[in-house]
Amino acid sequence: MTTNAAPTALFVEALDNLKGQGRRSLLALLGVVIGSGAIVALLNLGHMAQLETLKRFRQTGVDMLQVVAQPTGAEPVGLDLGALKAAAASEPGVVRVTPLATARLPVRAGARQIDAMVAAVPPAMAEVAGLRAATGRLLGPIDDCGAAALVGARLANDLSGPGAALAPGALITVGDYGFTVVGLLRPVPMEALSPVDYDQAVVIPLACARRVAGPDPTAALIRLRLEADPEAVGRRLTTRLSRPGLSVQVRDARAMIRAMNAQAAVHSRLLTAIGAISLLVGGIGVMNVMLMTVMERRREIGLRAAIGATPGDIRLMFLIEGVVLSLSGGALGAALGVAATAMIARMSGWTFDLALWVLPLGPGMAAVVGLIFSLYPAITASRVHPIEALRAD
Amino acid sequence: MARSNFDPSIPDLAGSLRAPGVSCFEGAPAALALVGVSKAYGAGPTRVPVLHDISLNIPAGGLVAIVGPSGSGKSTLLNLIGLLDQPDSGEIRLDGQRVAFRSAAEAARLRNRMIGFVFQSFQLLPRLTAWENVALPLLYRGVPRAERRVRALAMLESVDLADRVDHRPSALSGGQCQRVALARALIGEPRLILADEPTGSLDTATGATVMDLLRDLNRRLGTTIVMVTHDPDLAARCNALIEIRDGRIRTQREEAT
Repeated sequence: MTTNAAPTALFVEALDNLKGQGRRSLLALLGVVIGSGAIVALLNLGHMAQLETLKRFRQTGVDMLQVVAQPTGAEPVGLDLGALKAAAASEPGVVRVTPLATARLPVRAGARQIDAMVAAVPPAMAEVAGLRAATGRLLGPIDDCGAAALVGARLANDLSGPGAALAPGALITVGDYGFTVVGLLRPVPMEALSPVDYDQAVVIPLACARRVAGPDPTAALIRLRLEADPEAVGRRLTTRLSRPGLSVQVRDARAMIRAMNAQAAVHSRLLTAIGAISLLVGGIGVMNVMLMTVMERRREIGLRAAIGATPGDIRLMFLIEGVVLSLSGGALGAALGVAATAMIARMSGWTFDLALWVLPLGPGMAAVVGLIFSLYPAITASRVHPIEALRAD
Repeated sequence: MARSNFDPSIPDLAGSLRAPGVSCFEGAPAALALVGVSKAYGAGPTRVPVLHDISLNIPAGGLVAIVGPSGSGKSTLLNLIGLLDQPDSGEIRLDGQRVAFRSAAEAARLRNRMIGFVFQSFQLLPRLTAWENVALPLLYRGVPRAERRVRALAMLESVDLADRVDHRPSALSGGQCQRVALARALIGEPRLILADEPTGSLDTATGATVMDLLRDLNRRLGTTIVMVTHDPDLAARCNALIEIRDGRIRTQREEAT
């Protein structure tokens, strides 16, 4: 490309030209704004989703197996505690087994009654699930089956009447049995491997499970050694624990993370494709604006050519205009994209976090699109014949 | 091309076109020469011949008017002289050098260095201020912005517009616009100024001022000026006159200076 002018001078010239037509161009840039915004928003959402995924394994860790048993018939069959202990003892990879039983039961406090999850857990669960008392105390070995109960933070709130806040010492009814509330739990983040959402649950000693939930534990969390193969252990446990009328499922943390990531990847790929399509449409908008500009400024092009602009000078000037135009649309889109992620994070209760590497991608792709789609208008401009252009009065 | 500058059919104006203080003599290198130039537009059966075998010399320091009725080919002639278009046959010589028209970029470079343009409708860029308009040819010569500004301001001062440097064309009168355009044509210190109806959009008094400026320029700096005009008064104030009719040079007249 032969140019007589210094490229930096053409850059300044292009910026000056753009100033004159800001608002109209901005409208036509909508596609680029949306495309860039979508790409920035989606990549950042992906980043945030990954953080959220990791958060859900923070307490239990990734060396954990979850065993869940579901009766296939009407019989309330559960895991055979003896078989579970024997199986765990025979597996060198197993560090600790924490069984629990869950059931959905009506819970009554005073005049209020709510159907809630009731989790019967051994004292060790407090450490595994990260339970802490907001008021009162946690369950200990002393409780054995002393009809003591803990109430989750949100459930406690829901069970509190006006002027009668649920507090340790209160009596509640779970199913047909009376329990004394010994403590209220602090809010606990929902863990991926936990079969219980403790914020909305009543927690009672496992020794009492028989009274309210049935004879056997319905689930177990199994901590493994780091070097153990979770899939192999899971397979062996599934076979050993299965019995007629009971379906046993074992899930391990790593496989779940893999599945979550794979799903997130599919989503982000799909959404990135949408962003790319928006950018493509935006690029056509840019081409439109630039072609219009070239048409409107034929005389200017003719004059510039007459006084010494080479076709290269003119091509470069319009290319720079197109790229700067798209870049500004892309930057605006990036800002909107970040704002959108902040809003989505707020609505879905995620923590907002900005991945800085995401920021230049939207405007960068917009600039590339601007360059490609400005090529044709720029070449058209460089072919304008000065005589014809100057004659058009 | 077999023809030379001394071909008797070429109107040689050099001998009689003397700017004060410039000595011109027979056979002096012409600022501009056309040798056997023909030009037609269109192709096939719709081809319209515009110029036929035109040869002429315009000596350095001349002030030449090209006149002729509409459609006579004078604008085409001006476009050829201004290197905005290339002849179908024949050659154009600038300072004795044949113009090769090898590429659009090279023609643009030659225009930028050698020729200043003045148009009937001024052709100022409306978004640019007066000084930015004036400085435009220097942009395409790679001159840095600060220097462009300094030189444009000096140029505007010389056309009496020192107090209008930051005005846009819309805030200037017609006469002021044409003076800005003149400053733009001059800033590159060209050898040749081509003016197409330079006073065509101006009233008589303003037109006369612009013409005075052109004449003064021609006298003081010895810049060669070629102008196309309809105005007989304007033509009368030039040193020489070429009349075009039907694509041929019909008459030429030389004025005593």
